[in-house]
Amino acid sequence: MDSELLSGTFVELADTMVADFDIIDFLHMLTDRSVALLAASAAGVVLADPRGELRVAAASSEAAGMVELFQIQNDQGPCLDCFRSGHSVTAADLADPGTPWPRFAAAATQAGFRTVEALPMRLRDQVIGALNLFRATPGAFEPADLRIAQALADVATIGLLQERSLRRSETMAEQLQAALNSRVVIEQAKGKLAERLGTDMDEAFRLLRDHARNSNQRLTDVARNFVDSTSAEFPPPPGQ
Amino acid sequence: MMSVSRATVLWGLIAEHAAAGGRRVAVGDVCAVAVASVQASGAWVAAASSRGPDFVLSVTDPVSEQLAELQLLLGEGPSHDVLAAAAPVLAADLGDQESARRWPAFTAEARNIGAMAVFAFPLMIGAIRSGIIGLYRSSPGPLSSLQLGDCLLLADTATVLLLESLDGGTPPADGIGPGMRPGGQSPDLAVHRVEIDQATGMLTVQLGVTAGEAFARLRAYAYARDRRLADVAGDIVARRLRLDPEPGQEAGR
Repeated sequence: MDSELLSGTFVELADTMVADFDIIDFLHMLTDRSVALLAASAAGVVLADPRGELRVAAASSEAAGMVELFQIQNDQGPCLDCFRSGHSVTAADLADPGTPWPRFAAAATQAGFRTVEALPMRLRDQVIGALNLFRATPGAFEPADLRIAQALADVATIGLLQERSLRRSETMAEQLQAALNSRVVIEQAKGKLAERLGTDMDEAFRLLRDHARNSNQRLTDVARNFVDSTSAEFPPPPGQ
Repeated sequence: MMSVSRATVLWGLIAEHAAAGGRRVAVGDVCAVAVASVQASGAWVAAASSRGPDFVLSVTDPVSEQLAELQLLLGEGPSHDVLAAAAPVLAADLGDQESARRWPAFTAEARNIGAMAVFAFPLMIGAIRSGIIGLYRSSPGPLSSLQLGDCLLLADTATVLLLESLDGGTPPADGIGPGMRPGGQSPDLAVHRVEIDQATGMLTVQLGVTAGEAFARLRAYAYARDRRLADVAGDIVARRLRLDPEPGQEAGR
């Protein structure tokens, strides 16, 4: 465990009062740090949509995002069980023939994952989503790592929900919709950039995020300006 | 999945409302179903550009019309804020201090004409903004979580209807209106979002069009070939399919 990275991560997760805060960038940081700190191969965050289903809000890789999406579309998997029960759910070996989620297990192992841990993101009695850790090798995560993962999920949940509410009296539903719409803008921008440059979606995302960081802009604003721009030039020419 | 069936139920109500009037499905039908399903007193839809709400497209009653027009006139109100925030604005009690502070002129006028709660939802898909749908109640009180879910699903439907009407639409020969998918399914936006969104972005470059037009072309392509939107989007993202700027020239590869 890299204790310096760990303490730095908690500081970053709590630091949501900054002017250029971006929810999706924040959740990506959560997934990236979970991978770096917890010996995970990948991580993903799903959030509850008031339409009545879960939506993928962030993933450390396109493959992890697709596995999350598979659970949602097939209504089966540890992440859904975690969200519904409000308790963490462990899948220590997805190749185990006795797995309660056969379709999910097949999709996840095909994507290269053998272990999944799903941790609830909850505020008081309400579960707003889940943090999911994936590992390429079988065997449950260490209990000490899971305590840290749950702490990261808890701090992120609080950060996520207080970000806007301190500035304006918005409801949680309003905030989550804004977050989910940000996700859509970013996917549209990834598609446009991947098509423009002939790259895959992971690379397109990395370029968008790097540009946001290097130019001190919010990831969502960079993505929206690029999709709105009438040219496919990236970064978009100034003044558009 | 529960939400899919709810979307289908709402779509059935919208199609029924249109059929009862002998018309194609339009945003007015969405307004009518919204009023009935979330116990609102009235609803309106306004088209919007990047600058904000532009003109009123549909209203269910005179109070809704005044609320919609008032916001255009004053340049303030929930309709403006939803587009800027890219999120719903839920003003469950126009008598509270927060509403008076956010929209001083609008709140006073709205209460004068009998609106005590106003809920507004952006008609948007990511960077695509086509308008807003607003609802009001003559007494204060929040939307329940189920009502909120219905509003979001209805907003999705209204968004697609607006985008297709702006596109000009290609009326199918069998008389099924734009917005209705083969087999009478509602627009299946929610579950298969990621690839649809990525494909929309890719098509802005392939076709040299705005994101709104790219999305409408994606749906038109799927519709014309009787294929699911998510499947066509998946082919585009996997680079098995490109759309041609001249419709009708597309070919898989």
